Amino acid sequence: MSEPRLTLQFTVNGSEQIIEVSPTRRLLDILRSDLNLTGPKEGCSIGRCGACSVLVDGQSTPACLLLACQLQGRSVQTIEGLRDEPVFERVSAALVNAGALQCGYCTPGIASTLTAALRNNPTATAQELEQALYGNLCRCTGYTGLRQAVAELART
Amino acid sequence: MSTNDFTPRQLNADNFADRWQQRPDARSKARGEQRYPTDELAWPGLLHGRILRSPFPHAQITGINVDAARELPGVRAVVTAADIPGDNHYGIVFRDQPVFCTDRVRYLGDALAAVAADTPEIAAHALSLIEVQYTELPVLGDPAAALADGAPPLHPGGNLLDSSLLEHGDVEAAFKACAFVVEGRYSTPRQMHVFMETEGGVAVPDNQGGLTFRVGCQSGHRDREQLASILDLPLDKVRVIGLATGGGFGGKDELTMQPAAGLLALRTGRPVRIHFDRRESTIAGIKRHPVELVARTGCDAQGNILAHQLHAVLDTGAYATLGPAVLTNLTDHAAAPLYRIPNVKVTGQLVYTNNSVAGAFRGFGGNQATFAVESQLDKLAAAAGLHPAELRKRNLRTPDDPGVEGQTQQQPCDPRLLLDAALASPLWENATESDHRRWLTGVGMALGAQGNGLGNGLPDSGGARLHLSAAGRIELAFGFIEYGQGVIAAVEHLACEYLGCAPDDLDIRLGDSSGPDSGPTSASRSSVIAVEALRRLQPQWRAALQDIAGRHADDLAPGRGGLCTPSGDLRISYAKLAKMAAQRPVLKVHFDFPTGPDATPRGRYLQLLIASVARVAVDRLTGRVRVLQLHHITAGGKVIHPPSYLGQIEGAAVMGMGMALLEDVPMQDGQFLLDNLDAYLIPTLADAPEQRVDVIEAILGGESYPVRGIGELGIEAISPALIAAIENATGVRMHSLPVRPTTLLTAMQEQHP
Repeated sequence: MSEPRLTLQFTVNGSEQIIEVSPTRRLLDILRSDLNLTGPKEGCSIGRCGACSVLVDGQSTPACLLLACQLQGRSVQTIEGLRDEPVFERVSAALVNAGALQCGYCTPGIASTLTAALRNNPTATAQELEQALYGNLCRCTGYTGLRQAVAELART
Repeated sequence: MSTNDFTPRQLNADNFADRWQQRPDARSKARGEQRYPTDELAWPGLLHGRILRSPFPHAQITGINVDAARELPGVRAVVTAADIPGDNHYGIVFRDQPVFCTDRVRYLGDALAAVAADTPEIAAHALSLIEVQYTELPVLGDPAAALADGAPPLHPGGNLLDSSLLEHGDVEAAFKACAFVVEGRYSTPRQMHVFMETEGGVAVPDNQGGLTFRVGCQSGHRDREQLASILDLPLDKVRVIGLATGGGFGGKDELTMQPAAGLLALRTGRPVRIHFDRRESTIAGIKRHPVELVARTGCDAQGNILAHQLHAVLDTGAYATLGPAVLTNLTDHAAAPLYRIPNVKVTGQLVYTNNSVAGAFRGFGGNQATFAVESQLDKLAAAAGLHPAELRKRNLRTPDDPGVEGQTQQQPCDPRLLLDAALASPLWENATESDHRRWLTGVGMALGAQGNGLGNGLPDSGGARLHLSAAGRIELAFGFIEYGQGVIAAVEHLACEYLGCAPDDLDIRLGDSSGPDSGPTSASRSSVIAVEALRRLQPQWRAALQDIAGRHADDLAPGRGGLCTPSGDLRISYAKLAKMAAQRPVLKVHFDFPTGPDATPRGRYLQLLIASVARVAVDRLTGRVRVLQLHHITAGGKVIHPPSYLGQIEGAAVMGMGMALLEDVPMQDGQFLLDNLDAYLIPTLADAPEQRVDVIEAILGGESYPVRGIGELGIEAISPALIAAIENATGVRMHSLPVRPTTLLTAMQEQHP
């Protein structure tokens, strides 16, 4: 029994990738194991915790739920590819200033999601930004610092 | 629904603005650059390990055959108990948990075998090829079944793992003298830690028969001891590096994936990575003990509490881990340590079952007991016609009163200060006034006490190492694990305070078993150890540096960048001192955790206090509880690092809120009724209340122990505060956690049909 293979052509952090993969390989495994992009984290594997959030065609998406066969021609951005963006700089500075992280394992997903939300709507209100984060779980902070960071991002 | 004057996200009125600083790892974490144990994916030749777990909660093993799994292409090793060179058992208190079962399985998390393969998919396939024959045994699905006559013993000593008795006075006689007596039956859930990073890491063999573990854990040194015994290796052949990890909360205190990964790495000579998925973490991971508590409390006509009795039954699951220590701490808290009560009797039973293993979890049994005790106080106040605060005021202990076992304690302050501050909270303004007909609002409060250290005279020591590197860096090493709590921020801040240096002069090294043993990262003990270590190191460090500088250095002291004059001018840099030194200083300290003056220490010597005030809204239509605001008053010594202090109290409070309103791992006949975050819900940003923390920093006894660990304090009083607030809103008092909307709605309808 030979395993089916797929020639996947897609963009990761701005660079074109052509890889041979199983069509059912998860985006999360492609990123973390094959491309050594460990910014997205695995937390639940069923799209409930948001730790693996990456941007697919600009929208925040759990990388554990997308398979290789769904990625043809699409553009994926992980936190590694967002670091130089001014919007991301604002987001990470706000998280740091508010003390919005502790263990930090959920933070790449949160920072990526916030970056997408602000990019898509630069005048987003605090409530809109909070709503964008309802799928990102954090177990350490109680979310108070995150809420403070979001308020700052909505103000500035 | 906020009708009061409450400023959220505040640490005291001034927000500690001048002391607010970033944690040293904040920027790298916010940019996704921090590496975690489960990010160790790039090792050359890395193999992927998987563990086979039992399909039955209780069964006899009659045969195991791994031949087919071994023959699968891509499989590099399959191991069972027969392959373990040393002791096949582990456990922090008793080594009663098999690495791999041989004759019997006692819960669904029991491990039978492990596989290392080229890919995770091959490893998973190989597990399915392992044939195990079982004969099912009767399942002990709860403590009552386990204690029933004729129940099969799960361990040689029977199913009662431990019991406790704490008694003074004569409760039976005292209850007869009471004017008011209240009774309550309480239950608390099997809460899951839900660290966002599940258990994982990698075991890497060297080429000399040794192993290095790079894992998520809570004590590199203790793990090393247990792993050396399992793998039958000398201690110096095993190194455990507890990397900065994605949450612990007690759930990584015991060994998790380390034994299987270590064995597979030795077998194959290649690095082996194991990362539990959330399902495996749910089934094999430690939980908070579910507890059934029955309490009776009575007072005289004036509201003086005369008698308090409580019996607790804890479901400890299939193995001991830290269960006995949890029972001891629960017993202490169940004796109402905040109140002066002449007649007290607390009994507890810690029972083996075929359920999920329960062990260490933030609060460590204390918060379950405090839920029952503070609820009893509220019920007694209602029976006696007193305000809940008034009943507490009449019975609060003084700082000089001994603890519940007559032991000496270091209280941070008079608990009356916290009660008064809680009563002055703005949350009480318009407490039950709602601008919305659908939502009922209410406010409640509770008090809690929490100790630091392993307690009860258990061996508890720690240390540190301080070293000037060849490049002139100040290397400060502790054994602690940074799992989010911010010990790295505390160490940095304290090092600068005690050693005079700047953050940039420092290299902090944590969690490496080849470094100093600081004791486990648990029991809110790290901050205390860090202060005690630096206090001892301070004069030695100064002397060692002056020694290098030689003559005329007497008026120089360690400062920012190097030895400085009394006015702070840099004279000799650390880099220059490193070059000048004939022998660069390596200073080591090791000492016992403070346990007080008693010959036989009981309970915990260093104490902290909290008052939590909660404001909730209850939906009349659905029974859903929204937590609107939480106001905490804490007394636990000096705030070292304000963002971490605030974060620990706020985070623990929301975790406690989860336990009170949302979280439980239900089990039936030893089966898990859920196994992931689709059904096990934890609070989200949408559920998060506004919070404020007011700190009473001044501490009795002044400088003797100025800093206490606050990692568990925030969870201590949150459940009873929420239950009191729900009662204030609805008139209904709940006794069973978590409070489900349907249960609350039914209770509300019964109250007001």
